[in-house]
Amino acid sequence: MVREERPAIVPEITCQEIVQWASAYLDEHVGDDRKRQIAVHLAICAGCETYVKQIATVRDIVGLLPKTVEQPSDLHRLRPAFTARARRSSSGD
Amino acid sequence: MSTAATVMTRSVEHSAFLEPALSRTTGTDEEHELIVRLRRGDEGAFDDLVNKHHSALIRMSMGYVRDREVAEEVVQDTWMAVIEGLHRFEGRSSLRTWIFGIMIHKAKDRGVREKRHMNFSAFESVDDESEEPVDPARFHQTGEWAGHWAVPPQPWDDQTPERLLASQQAVNAMQRAIEVLPPPLKAVLMLRDVEGVEAKEVCEILKITETNLYVRLHRARERVRQAVETYLEGRQFAV
Repeated sequence: MVREERPAIVPEITCQEIVQWASAYLDEHVGDDRKRQIAVHLAICAGCETYVKQIATVRDIVGLLPKTVEQPSDLHRLRPAFTARARRSSSGD
Repeated sequence: MSTAATVMTRSVEHSAFLEPALSRTTGTDEEHELIVRLRRGDEGAFDDLVNKHHSALIRMSMGYVRDREVAEEVVQDTWMAVIEGLHRFEGRSSLRTWIFGIMIHKAKDRGVREKRHMNFSAFESVDDESEEPVDPARFHQTGEWAGHWAVPPQPWDDQTPERLLASQQAVNAMQRAIEVLPPPLKAVLMLRDVEGVEAKEVCEILKITETNLYVRLHRARERVRQAVETYLEGRQFAV
């Protein structure tokens, strides 16, 4: 099934270009001209508006996925190494 | 004798004793304070540093070596290098940039040794930077509407983020999509979106340009988006 939602007029830049610029646009890492072109396109293209929103959702969700907290199993070895190195340094070794 | 002359004389006489002055061009006052404490040998400061970065270092190194035990060894080696190098650290980058830079170098080195057919550049190159993030078949190929959606994405409702996070199946699908990303894509996604590192610092850590960063970041996000799309379509089909 073709689920086409075509804008009323042909936009200045294509949907394929919007797709490539989506992450840079969301992070505001595009120039003023490009930003304007993208904003105009998004205002008239439901498909791209949906796409950019979905990328924003992914960006936000990825940071919320469950993360395991890793405890260094060998902190008991690292700490003495740290202390010994600091001691060597302060003694001018 | 002037202060500068005193410092010069001391540096000649006791070069190993002297530590480089910390640059104040990067980092916050808090970080400056932390580095001073670390150099004094403050164990509490060292514990704070390890606890702050250890989990993220393990997660990141898994992207290069794909084996839990080796990842732990890489991070252990990284901490030893940090301990040795702290007294030479000049603060020209943030501590995090420096530490992650050490880990990535060690992880790539291990990755290369594990997979002999790979070299360092295999961890840098994305198969084809010009590859389209979204299947070109979803766009019109010819005519006035060439390059515009033929099969646009279907909107997700406002509750989608919460529902996705509440579904173990969806969480698994997203985690799997991240797990199988090629190392260069995974590294940018982990740093930027999972750890929340600013774009500029991600570029410094990975030694890539901002243009590269966004090409990779977007391709990584798109693969996760596709995983969500597939999950939602499957669920719809199942109902």
